[in-house]
Amino acid sequence: MMRSTIEVLNPGLATSIQDAGRWGYQSSGVPVSGAVDEFAFRLANLLVGNQPEDAAIEFMILGPTLKFKGPTFIAITGGTCQAQLDGQVLQLNRAYQVKAGSVLHFKPITAGRFGYLAVKGGILIPLILHSRATTSRIQLGGLAGRNLQVGDCLPIAVFYCLSSLAQRQLMVAPRPAVKKVVLHFVKGPQWQLFSAQAQQIFTEAAFTVSQQADRMGYRLAGPALPVPAKNMLSEGTVTGNVQITRSGQPIVLLADRQTAGGYPVIGTVCLADLEQLIQAQNGQQFCFQAISVAAATQRLHEKYDDLQKLTTKISATRYQLPIGPQQVAGQRIAELFD
Amino acid sequence: MGLDYKVVPVGEQAVMIDFPEKIDVAQNQLIHVLANEIKKMNKPEIVDLIPAYHTLTIDFDPFQTDSENFIVWLSDFLQTHLATTQVTSSRIVEIPVCYGGKYGPDLADVAKFAGTSPAEVIRLHTGSLYYIYLLGFLPGFAYAGFVVAQIAMPRLEQPRVKIAAGSVGIAGKQTGMYPVDSPGGWRLIGQTPLKLYDPHSPLPYYHAGDWLKFKAISPAEFHAIRRQVKAGTFQIKTTVKESGGLE
Repeated sequence: MMRSTIEVLNPGLATSIQDAGRWGYQSSGVPVSGAVDEFAFRLANLLVGNQPEDAAIEFMILGPTLKFKGPTFIAITGGTCQAQLDGQVLQLNRAYQVKAGSVLHFKPITAGRFGYLAVKGGILIPLILHSRATTSRIQLGGLAGRNLQVGDCLPIAVFYCLSSLAQRQLMVAPRPAVKKVVLHFVKGPQWQLFSAQAQQIFTEAAFTVSQQADRMGYRLAGPALPVPAKNMLSEGTVTGNVQITRSGQPIVLLADRQTAGGYPVIGTVCLADLEQLIQAQNGQQFCFQAISVAAATQRLHEKYDDLQKLTTKISATRYQLPIGPQQVAGQRIAELFD
Repeated sequence: MGLDYKVVPVGEQAVMIDFPEKIDVAQNQLIHVLANEIKKMNKPEIVDLIPAYHTLTIDFDPFQTDSENFIVWLSDFLQTHLATTQVTSSRIVEIPVCYGGKYGPDLADVAKFAGTSPAEVIRLHTGSLYYIYLLGFLPGFAYAGFVVAQIAMPRLEQPRVKIAAGSVGIAGKQTGMYPVDSPGGWRLIGQTPLKLYDPHSPLPYYHAGDWLKFKAISPAEFHAIRRQVKAGTFQIKTTVKESGGLE
């Protein structure tokens, strides 16, 4: 495989290399990390024909400026933002061919918080504990355990062709703006520890995302919940856990969460709804609504159904022309028909 | 061993085996043995296991199974395995510590709290084995205990902004080491020259379920070991503790 690199001309904000997470080591206290918005990350990889666990670039609010030293294919997903490849405006959720020497540039995200850039073949940095995910607070994984900086060179592979290029896009209908976004959650494990009054506030009040929102978790702003008097012993944490702090504020745990925590967990936001919280607009109101585990599972499958359909569509059209090096022409033809 | 437990879902992607809420070595050892046995089943849908004080959280891939089916399997597994699960032995891991002075700025305060001399605090701290209930929050951060009541000094009122990696401290009955520089309120009584966390090789020398044994060393030994650690020639000392039961 021929190798090439991406040069970081401007790192953007909190830009890091992430994958599907460093699973299997939480018993040693190693956080999972990986992409915060799993759906957007998986979609990006799927669009460029990657494995679900291949490493991509995650950024927060402002994407990086990157120079591609070799030809490849890219896809951008996540928060709404304008990306330009040598001045050409790129759509989200769609695969594009990149020529050697091309420069990719982002304008800030206008709706959402996290964006993803997948490159065909993934970012080929070495694995640590079977993962390339960055946990910057403990300098683990990624590129030297940190967020990207000016001058970094990210190893990638050279690709001239990608099958079904014209099919590699997902139309995502924009969500209608609503006053309150409902986050469905599964109760517990400590739901019963909370008073009826606390449970009522949690399920009836409106919350917004506070300033303290990062890859570890989002602290929510809203009315304080009465906190159980009893202290609890630390136990394992899970993505989407809603911890209630001593001051009664909810924190929703995300990718970089600590492996164990001692705050009671009133509920766990179902994975299908987590994306809406992760990509929350400032000031957007959220409310919590309890559902069964089975219903949460059902929602998750419905959400990922789009990815399954896209996989099938790409696979079904993989032998349609144009394939191979003519794809530059193919992409132009595809654009004419847009 | 008691078979008193509940299996509770945590969202749609995990379940937690919840044993009686207590800090108990025998019960915690059982949880670690159980975690290893489940791991050995090599079930592809299981993506991670987090043993803690009295719980075992199991993360599974919700695209390969679902909570209901997983709980059926797990309950079955527990029924057949829990009764026969036995803790046969555990490891004792020796941690060299240089006490007092710049290595342990709070040693004098702990001695004052204990109404004794710093030398006696060192003798008491090195005189017990400390069981690691869980590793968590940071890689290699051991929730270990317990120190004798005499030296169980509560945390600082105002946490320090930065505690050096390798610092050994006391927080109430708990004792342990800081694997990385971090803020914290523990009473610092010494420092180990061991590199407890290395981002290039992130897994710790010790596991939950092991016992820690602190050994007092001189500043000269501290520097000698630090050089060996840097050169990669330091060998951590471990011994086997039979029957693993209560101290």
